[in-house]
Amino acid sequence: MRGALIGTVIAREWRTRVMKKSFIIGTLLMPFLAVGLIAGTVLLSEVTETENVVLVEDVSGLISRLDVPSQQYVPRCPGCFPETKGLEYRFVKEAPSDSIWMAQGHTILVEFDEAVLQNKAGYLVYEKSPGLEAKRSIERHLSHAIEHARVLGSTELNWEAYQRLKFDLRLVDRTIEEDGARADGGGEEIKGVVGFFFSAVLFLVLAVYGGFIMRSVVEEKSNRVVEVLIAAVRPEELLLGKVIGTGLVAITQIVAWSALSMLAFSAFQLLFDSGVMSGSPAPLSGEIPADLLTVMAENEFTATLLDIQWGLMALCTVAFFVGGYMLYGSLYAAVGASVQSEQEGQGLVIPIIMPLMFAYIVAGGAMTNPEMGALQVLSWFPLTSPVIMLVRTAVGVPIWELVLSWLLLMGTARLTLALAGRAYRHGVLNNGSKSGWKLLLQWMRGHGR
Amino acid sequence: MNSALHIAQLEKSFGTHRVLDGVGFDVEKGTIMGLLGPNGAGKSTLIRSIMGIVEPDAGRIELAGRPWSRESVRSIGYLPEERGLYKDMKVGEQAVYFARLKGMEKAQAVSALRGWFERLEVEGWWDRKVSDISKGMAQKIQFICTVVHGPELLILDEPLSGFDPINARRIIDVIRSLAADGTSILLSTHDMPSVERLCDHVVMLNQGKVVLSGEADVLRESGWDGSQDVVFKGNDMAFANALGAAAHLEGIAPTITQGVRKARIRLREGTTAFAILGALQEAVEVQEFIKVRPTMETLFIAAVDQAQPTQTEEA
Repeated sequence: MRGALIGTVIAREWRTRVMKKSFIIGTLLMPFLAVGLIAGTVLLSEVTETENVVLVEDVSGLISRLDVPSQQYVPRCPGCFPETKGLEYRFVKEAPSDSIWMAQGHTILVEFDEAVLQNKAGYLVYEKSPGLEAKRSIERHLSHAIEHARVLGSTELNWEAYQRLKFDLRLVDRTIEEDGARADGGGEEIKGVVGFFFSAVLFLVLAVYGGFIMRSVVEEKSNRVVEVLIAAVRPEELLLGKVIGTGLVAITQIVAWSALSMLAFSAFQLLFDSGVMSGSPAPLSGEIPADLLTVMAENEFTATLLDIQWGLMALCTVAFFVGGYMLYGSLYAAVGASVQSEQEGQGLVIPIIMPLMFAYIVAGGAMTNPEMGALQVLSWFPLTSPVIMLVRTAVGVPIWELVLSWLLLMGTARLTLALAGRAYRHGVLNNGSKSGWKLLLQWMRGHGR
Repeated sequence: MNSALHIAQLEKSFGTHRVLDGVGFDVEKGTIMGLLGPNGAGKSTLIRSIMGIVEPDAGRIELAGRPWSRESVRSIGYLPEERGLYKDMKVGEQAVYFARLKGMEKAQAVSALRGWFERLEVEGWWDRKVSDISKGMAQKIQFICTVVHGPELLILDEPLSGFDPINARRIIDVIRSLAADGTSILLSTHDMPSVERLCDHVVMLNQGKVVLSGEADVLRESGWDGSQDVVFKGNDMAFANALGAAAHLEGIAPTITQGVRKARIRLREGTTAFAILGALQEAVEVQEFIKVRPTMETLFIAAVDQAQPTQTEEA
């Protein structure tokens, strides 16, 4: 019977929020806006990608020479200037005035002389900025060409030998498993970033929906509905119904966002792959890969993503959301019950939000060092575990630690719910001018009106 | 046992302040009991104790002869003084929600609510948001939410506040008809005329104690101080002489119409109204002879004043 009552409260909390125009619009628009932002960035870069014609003024003839038959200056090392989309090079010994080289169709002028070997600097002259990517490509290509020139100028080296001797060390990650065996590893930083993304989402959901609970409690106090409610439902049951109902709204929104994002991404992918969006047919083989997923599969970053245990990640997100939400949601409700207005409540929630903020900051640090020692302790501590444990789960964590941390969280959440229930019972009927943590703690101890 | 609500030796303190001090009374089935008292007398705490919102320190509460339990409280219809509705919900949807919290099935709740909406002429507001309706309309909806589950006991705290005279009368009629159908009602109010119009019994609280209780008519009768209003035609002197030593005239007898006067007299100890009437009829032409019983307000003030010195002495 009591369960049915809590169910009625849950249904109202869920229905009134989910049926709100703002919720529907936000839920429907957000995924399309997010995917639209990515799509827009991709398309914008496609559309706005400018063709840069670079005129290289090589006064000393360091990297270019005159090709007699064509009477054109050509690079001494053609391989140093690979075919690059949106970048074309021309070489001259002496560049004409700015107005003339621009009138000739060049967009960039690169100036350097023989001193470049000492000062390692030249000038990039332009009217419109070529963009960071183009600038880096030009620097890379010219450095390579100058390196080539230096090797050729050396009596001890030749280019082929230099190319052979050049050495780039690549370290392949191997991790030692619990049983002592070695296994493929690596990508912890990328996994850390993914874990942080989940932590950030959970942090936001806990903070935003916790605020919703507080607002809902304050509203019931201010519109005087609460006395009628608690005559029918125990305050603790009302609190539980409110926390669960609002939590279900959060889950509804997350599920809707996920489903709609996938839908929007699929639609974008379909349009992108068919070439409709770029206004041209699919690229030929040998050029840029035809579809997005192939690109993603060949990419080192996405290959690391495939290594993450997504099933466990999803399970942990839900499990730690439930625990974290019960814990923080009940505290927000207790604060809501102790104040007369939402503004007053904002001040009182600061001590509540601090551990959550701290966890969020630490989780941010974990992106660069996902296995730092402090993470283990914080991933067990119930006030920080909902945010921290997700970073560790993405990187890899023993199951026993996950279970222990979750049990600790649930135990604390249950205790907090009981204490918050007491404060709530006292607070919801308190319309006095007094509020604050002293009073709240007094109520939690079971004292007061 | 014919008691819908039995309260015995109820005590409640907040810190050092004793709010309820051995309160006890009964609400008989099918009757309307007025709960009176000045601000801070303990009425709200008493009601909240009955509703399980506040836990009493000592004493006993029985509902329909059975000890108080959380489940039995749900069958009470409770209209608190500080009441409200969710502004962002539709009226009908909200009424169904409250009915379901009282244990009604949805279909049953909708059917009962439709009936009540029709009875109080608010059927056109079912799909409107609370923010769109007037205060009086909201009061009606709150009243409906209180009675929709057919409670055997109703606790109404200032049920007429916010109503215009026409709607107040309509609510009074509904309350009377509910009582006539066997519902027991505890009505807390400061509005003395409505107590006189509605209540069969009253209990008065002052500083957490019952200072007066009983049947309303009996209390008023027992509080009668011998006052009578006499409307007569005739000579003032003859009127005064006829009263003699058996009664005394309070103030002067003002003229109310041409040659007709109205006087308030008070019978002295041992004199009957019948004897005075006989004497007066011989002296003047008596048109009306009305017994003036004390109003609830007078009884209320007298009871509070009487209790005050005792409590001051105790302090």
